[in-house]
Amino acid sequence: MASVIPVKEKKLMDVKLGELPSWILMRDFTPNGILGAFQRGYHRYYNKYINVKKGSISGVSMVLAAYVLFSYCLSYKELKHELLRKYH
Amino acid sequence: MLSRVALAATAAPSLKNAALLGPGVLQATRIFHTGQPSLAPLPPLPEYGGKVRLGLIPEEFFQFLYPKTGITGPYVLGTGLILYALSKEIYVITPETFSTISIVGLLVYVIKKYGASIGEFADKLNEQKIAQLEEVKQASIKQFQDAIDLEKAQQALVQKRHYLFDVQRNNIAMALEVTYRERLHRVYKEVKNRLDYHISVQDMMRRKEQEHMVNWVEKQVVRSISAQQEKETIAKCIADLKLLAKKAQVQPVL
Repeated sequence: MASVIPVKEKKLMDVKLGELPSWILMRDFTPNGILGAFQRGYHRYYNKYINVKKGSISGVSMVLAAYVLFSYCLSYKELKHELLRKYH
Repeated sequence: MLSRVALAATAAPSLKNAALLGPGVLQATRIFHTGQPSLAPLPPLPEYGGKVRLGLIPEEFFQFLYPKTGITGPYVLGTGLILYALSKEIYVITPETFSTISIVGLLVYVIKKYGASIGEFADKLNEQKIAQLEEVKQASIKQFQDAIDLEKAQQALVQKRHYLFDVQRNNIAMALEVTYRERLHRVYKEVKNRLDYHISVQDMMRRKEQEHMVNWVEKQVVRSISAQQEKETIAKCIADLKLLAKKAQVQPVL
């Protein structure tokens, strides 16, 4: 089902499920585009949680928690040797 | 994504303006930044950041799940995920787990206890910085205001310049009058001098003529008196004198 607004300009939340592959494919994957995406993501997070007058700890703790999760995922392979039970 | 749309919107007008330039027009008119200046004045910083629950999960997630699962949805989801990870040993319980739990517990305790005061301290530092800058700004504004007032006063003075000019004009008129009168007086003196000269010349001439005439008449008279006439007159004078003497002698006796 074609939508009224062209897929290119829509935000992720407005994209319908069937259009998701086409939406992903038409993203800008050049190095410039990827850099721009990182920059935008950084600035969105920064301006929402850190660049405020009364920032809370959550601005930092969310980043740390994400780092903890990411490093856990990376080290899961070694942790597999310390499983308590063999069959789950 | 929203920022990308905004960027496209601001890029479009400036591109359009650039497209209006032909190749030959470049020297004639250069169009500078015609887009909306997005840097000034800056919008003020938001007061609080995005709300976050448990310090880890943004509020938007809870709002996202609220229509379908109500209030307890995300918490149940979280509990279910934790139990699933533990039971399937996606999260492995190692000796590190206990140190993790104690460290996290300590962190949470410290943050809960001293978070507010640290925040106030940071806010006070910020306020001091802002107050300093504000002072500088106010001082500079005051300076400019004083300069403006000075300028206004001087401009007001300009309106009163005519007094100065009137005084100067009066002075000059008086000086002119004085020199005029001085010169008039001098003219009068000079003319009187000349006239006096003529008068004195005339007087002198007349006096000289008079004297000359008198002298000449005396001389003629003296010359005309011959020697004989002189003797006769002298004898007559002596006879008269004798008569008078006699009369005089007779008189006192009486």
